[in-house]
Amino acid sequence: MRFRFVGIAGLVVLIASVAALAASPALKPFERGTWQSVLRGHAGRPVLVHFWGVTCGPCKVELPLLGQFAKDHPDVDVVTVSADLVPNLPAATQSMLDKAGLSSTENFIFNDGFVERLRFEIDPAWQGDIPRTMLISREGTVTTIEGSAEIADLEKWSAQQRSKH
Amino acid sequence: MIRTGLLAIAALACLQGAALGQMHGKHASEAACEEPTLRCATKATPAFGPDGTLWLVWMAGGQVSVASSQDEGRSFSTPTQVTTKRLNLDWGPDARPKIVVDRKGGIALAFSTFRDEAFNGQVFTTRSADGGKSFAELKPITASNESQRFEALALDQDGTVFAAWLDKRNRIFAKEAGQKYEGAGLFFTSSSDGGTTYADAKLAREGTCECCRLGLAFAASGRPVAIFRNIFEGGVRDHAVMTFTDVATPGEVRRVSNDDWQINACPHHGPSLTVAPNGTYHVAWYTNGKARKGLFYAHSRDEGRTFSSPMALGRPDRNPTRPFVLAGAAGTVMVWKEFDGEKTSVQMTISRDDGETWSPPKTISSTTDTSDHPLLVSNGKQTYLSWMTKADGYRLKAIEDQP
Repeated sequence: MRFRFVGIAGLVVLIASVAALAASPALKPFERGTWQSVLRGHAGRPVLVHFWGVTCGPCKVELPLLGQFAKDHPDVDVVTVSADLVPNLPAATQSMLDKAGLSSTENFIFNDGFVERLRFEIDPAWQGDIPRTMLISREGTVTTIEGSAEIADLEKWSAQQRSKH
Repeated sequence: MIRTGLLAIAALACLQGAALGQMHGKHASEAACEEPTLRCATKATPAFGPDGTLWLVWMAGGQVSVASSQDEGRSFSTPTQVTTKRLNLDWGPDARPKIVVDRKGGIALAFSTFRDEAFNGQVFTTRSADGGKSFAELKPITASNESQRFEALALDQDGTVFAAWLDKRNRIFAKEAGQKYEGAGLFFTSSSDGGTTYADAKLAREGTCECCRLGLAFAASGRPVAIFRNIFEGGVRDHAVMTFTDVATPGEVRRVSNDDWQINACPHHGPSLTVAPNGTYHVAWYTNGKARKGLFYAHSRDEGRTFSSPMALGRPDRNPTRPFVLAGAAGTVMVWKEFDGEKTSVQMTISRDDGETWSPPKTISSTTDTSDHPLLVSNGKQTYLSWMTKADGYRLKAIEDQP
């Protein structure tokens, strides 16, 4: 009896901790190959990938607007990538995501000191300016918005995605 | 069944832990190591002294250090630590410690730190009067408590140290007045005692881009000139130069080129400027504008009133970045980085006719991991590439006379 109780209590604790992780998923490391796996993982669905960083002024303004967009558009997979150069700051990154209402989206943080190589995998022409948003349609067409995105443009794109299906 | 489930859950919890643990792993760092030594530096900035000694200031392990070399960078003196404790140094892509060495051998330094959790910056200065054996206590460059970053230093012939930086002190007044505040102000000051004390900070220009390095030089004695990414009408972040009337009086803002890069973002990619002995301004910059995209070079023979047509640099399919230009005894040299998917190379071109024509670009160095911006430094006779790399350490390489 006693053993069984301990076992169940342990199970409850584990399930609770996993549930907590699921509710606020940890930042995932963005490394070599991550970009391709993100593309594969969301293939066939409209995806919005937002690159930002904690030291970028315009990003601070845009992030909460993106949080609201994600909430209003459950049909769009929103993915964020903190693309500041390392030493990157997971705690500050998570805190800004939480405040912007982006706790439950799929959130990455650059985790390779060779940042040129990471950026080259995503877009060889990208020199690191942030914010930057890539809209990927169901068919895989990529639309890149350099600088802060206008939410009206995101709305328009998302409506186009819906109308196709 | 339950057992299997538990194991699966435990394994999942471990995976989560492993993922977080990796974030602090060594491979994720720009630095090769975490000590304050040169080998661990992420940014290193050179300057030659009047006697031909090479001085290097670097940031590593949260500290700023200085050392000198008598043998073209092959060996360095025992470093002098400028900072006494680990600081939250500005690690932005365009930040680096700055150094000038005057005719008497006095060394003036400047660098920035993040002063709070919102990444507001603070610029500090210090000076060595004993040939780099010791440095004075760090002093803020200005009493303002608002954000300052991207400082630059230049040395006049008479030993005056001129400093410029990007400063957000007027943001608060704009906010109080209910006005929109874009970018930052270009502020400046000067020191007539070799960098021991600086005059009160002055505003040169409000509304410049807030996250790019500045280029700074002297057009003539007493006349500093700065290049910066300005914010023009409609949020267009194109480049401008300002030639100061004197070290206390700003001049006009003159546009370098009409790239039409309208963007509300941090490009993290500032320009470079050098002034030839005959007064020609040579400038290099990055843009992603509607009119042109990539790295470009231009020159001006009338103090920035007009510039030559922008000349593109580098291979567009190799992501050319971080241009640097320096007028030296053997010609005007430009370097920049290119990346081919695996390795980063430094490309070099030289002009022997004051910027009219340029040699075909040539690879002069390469590395297979992350690297600092390529810089050029001259001792008056020879120009060198100065480049800090993670995989191969610090490199000083003479630019060969023949391209």
